[in-house]
Amino acid sequence: MQEHHHRTDKQINTDLLSSIFSTPKWWPIATLACLIVYLTGMTAFAYMLNKGVGVTGLNRPVFWGFYMVNFVFWIGISHAGIMISAILRLTQAEWRRPITRAAEVLTVFSLIAALQAAPLVHVGRPWRADLWVFPYDFSRGIWINVKSPFIWDPSAVMTYLTASSLFVFVCLIPDLAIIRDRTKGIVSKIYGFLALGWRGTPVQWKLQIVAGILLSALVLPVFVSVHSIVSWDFAAQIGPEAWHSTIFAPYFIIGAIHSGVSAVATVMVVMVWLFKWDKYITPDHLDAIGRLLIIVATAWFFFFFLEWVYALYTLEGPELAMRELQVFKMPWSAMFIIFVITAYLFPVPMWLFKKVRRNFLWMFITTISVNIGMWLERFLIIVPGLMRKQPLMFNWGSYTPSIVEILMVAMTFAWVLMGMLLFARVFPLIPLFDIKEGMVGRDEIKIGRAKVPASIRE
Amino acid sequence: MSTSQNTHEQTQFSKQADLTAKLVGLHVSKYNKNTIFLIILSVLSIIGLIGLIVKITNDGFDNPAKWGYYVTFVVFLLTTVQAAPMVAIAPFIAKGHWNRSISKVAQLFAPLGLINLLLFIPVLCVLPSLSDGRRTLWFFESLKMNAYMPHIITLISFICLVLLGIALLWISTVPDFAVLRENSKNTYNKKLFSILSNRWIGTSKQWFTQKHRIGILGAFYFMTLVILNFQISSDFAMSLIPGWIDSLYPATHTANSFQAGVATVIIAMYALRKWGGCKDFIGFDQFWALGKLMFALSLMWVWFFFSSFIIFWYGAKPTEKAIIELSMTGPYFIPFLGSAFLLFILPLLTMPFNRIRRSILGPTILAFFILIGSFLDRLRIYVPAYQLSDHPNKHNFYLPDVPKTILPDIPDLMIIVGGISAVILTYILLTKFIPVVSIWQQKELSLYKIHKKFHRTEVLVLGKPE
Repeated sequence: MQEHHHRTDKQINTDLLSSIFSTPKWWPIATLACLIVYLTGMTAFAYMLNKGVGVTGLNRPVFWGFYMVNFVFWIGISHAGIMISAILRLTQAEWRRPITRAAEVLTVFSLIAALQAAPLVHVGRPWRADLWVFPYDFSRGIWINVKSPFIWDPSAVMTYLTASSLFVFVCLIPDLAIIRDRTKGIVSKIYGFLALGWRGTPVQWKLQIVAGILLSALVLPVFVSVHSIVSWDFAAQIGPEAWHSTIFAPYFIIGAIHSGVSAVATVMVVMVWLFKWDKYITPDHLDAIGRLLIIVATAWFFFFFLEWVYALYTLEGPELAMRELQVFKMPWSAMFIIFVITAYLFPVPMWLFKKVRRNFLWMFITTISVNIGMWLERFLIIVPGLMRKQPLMFNWGSYTPSIVEILMVAMTFAWVLMGMLLFARVFPLIPLFDIKEGMVGRDEIKIGRAKVPASIRE
Repeated sequence: MSTSQNTHEQTQFSKQADLTAKLVGLHVSKYNKNTIFLIILSVLSIIGLIGLIVKITNDGFDNPAKWGYYVTFVVFLLTTVQAAPMVAIAPFIAKGHWNRSISKVAQLFAPLGLINLLLFIPVLCVLPSLSDGRRTLWFFESLKMNAYMPHIITLISFICLVLLGIALLWISTVPDFAVLRENSKNTYNKKLFSILSNRWIGTSKQWFTQKHRIGILGAFYFMTLVILNFQISSDFAMSLIPGWIDSLYPATHTANSFQAGVATVIIAMYALRKWGGCKDFIGFDQFWALGKLMFALSLMWVWFFFSSFIIFWYGAKPTEKAIIELSMTGPYFIPFLGSAFLLFILPLLTMPFNRIRRSILGPTILAFFILIGSFLDRLRIYVPAYQLSDHPNKHNFYLPDVPKTILPDIPDLMIIVGGISAVILTYILLTKFIPVVSIWQQKELSLYKIHKKFHRTEVLVLGKPE
């Protein structure tokens, strides 16, 4: 990190708690707008529950549409938090400090969005979701099929949500104590309760650091398992062409990281624009995340290449016809072109330029572009895969999303935005203690006439 | 890996001149002149060569089934020796300091690719042309490709990898050659190092260019290695087994290659520390860092392997069942069990323990087992692949019957022992000309690393240039 703004502890507290102790003019408007969209989506959901799934565009054989696309998309975004926070924490990358909290929070809200997006909806009768956990009928010995990825899926997502929430909470404790000491009355009591009696003693610090590292290490396998299992929802099936592929698990994971890290970069830019935290999130941070994105995106593109090339390698008629449908038949071909351009061909060459990586507007545009592409990618996997006639399906089909589905997709986006805005009003989005630690641990080494940035190690 | 930047154990040199003197002294010391060991290695290498000649004369190239173990060995060398330089490349690009003392240990493996390139020629003769109608990534019939495309393109990639490795080693050693040139008393050595140092005087421009070249060559080496793993795993294994379609296998092959590459470097580090006089530079931190990396790669390998396995097991199509039987539960069950145990279960059972992970012997022993596991993993794929390469069902893309186990013959064993000996011998000989600890990288590190008083304690301050 070459660009450095030294801030005292007092300045850090003032700057980073500003989102909590003062209300910007835009905040109520933005939150209200998100709430309206969210409630509209919930109304659509209630309407669907009342009328049945017939009000959606889902039909035989396209049983999965926007809901499932959205589910996979949000699970993908949720990989941002762990990728940025756990991996960069374990490798002690200095540039992680201002962005870990936002990434972790994005994970939690994305996971909840994913849960709202699909599983309950697809049950048809969500009030019977308990049957995923308990046997249908004890007396007749009808148990849930534990060999099904659809059972692993909610288990993995719930484990991931629990672990991520715990991770966010553990990393919040020192900051909660700071807010506790700056508030009065009932508010102070609530923060005090959440801060678990934090006083900042050496033992508490040691425990907090160890807990952070342990949770980072423990949450990583969960992170890998979640999207692997999501991918097996598709890959374990032998019916739809293009789904039964061994590469799906790593391909989904690396795609999720690509999409998630891009989302974190977008959030970073928005944080600077909204809260004026440009002394904490600098072009250096964007540069670092831009470099990381080049590697992640290229790894994803390699897996995309493998997935395609081995699909053609099969030389099996239905598989080739399915690929032909994706690439040459409208409207899928147009979507495919947009997907490849927005997910890779546009952003990655742009990130090769340092000026782009260090520019807030360009990083915002390119990272948004990635997520447009990655949403389309999931759509192109799910819908064309189902609409072709398969050995176990007797008809062809097509899919057009209904207004109910569109509103529910919008609802999930509104949920995540609203969640982030509300979180920023109650808790600091940039970890204060981490920033302070970074300031203390920062140094310079003089080599001849040059000054080289350095960091203190134990 | 920054925890390993903490280099308490290693000797601190107060002056740059002392450090240079120590490293030059290390290079010219007698450690690499253990004649008896070199003679034994030479004899074993000759035995290997004889084994190869016997194999060619006895078996010819018409029966690929006879060459399964040979191909396994060549691929094993590719995925160990030729993957080892990655240990130097990745941290250099990530600007890590911890690997400075071992970067040359890793890069010195690059020229050994020449031996493997020579060993690869018989493999090209054994691999059937595409005219047999098998599935291929070259879409032989539909794209009207040359029937020898896999042979041609893989050979080109192989040559590129070897040349890139040699170039990378040379470019990154040029400043060291200049130091040796200045410090050589022997006229022959002075002349040799003058040529190798390519008029290096250490101007700012030279340093700038050199670092960029290392970065670019490293990136290309990485890409070529990945491409070569992809080509070898597809054209020299998967396409030979009727019905085997596993889009993840090239990535699994590559992950195992990185794992084995790290293991190779760890073993070389141990040998150089124990017998090469490098104790002051190759310390606990390097073993710790590489041990963790090796463990992470073990987990990555098993995740890739399991991702493939579960799809085959869950799908349970007749072809998928046959592939599971062929490579796991059937004739090659023991190699499969061995590879799964050594590549994943053993690291999982041992590496979480601090006493093993934070030691020098622990990661070294584990690295040795990982190399054996990698060989077994190659064996369970490549031996049956060459058994099946002339299978009549190739056109049906289906494997109705699984062949029996094949054991290696005497020439195979001679080649394996001789090949490993030749690799070790060449490595030792290379260390006569190239310092095993990079002088310039160590000197640079000494500038970036200072100890400083911090409140009541002393801390390490580590510079990180842009």
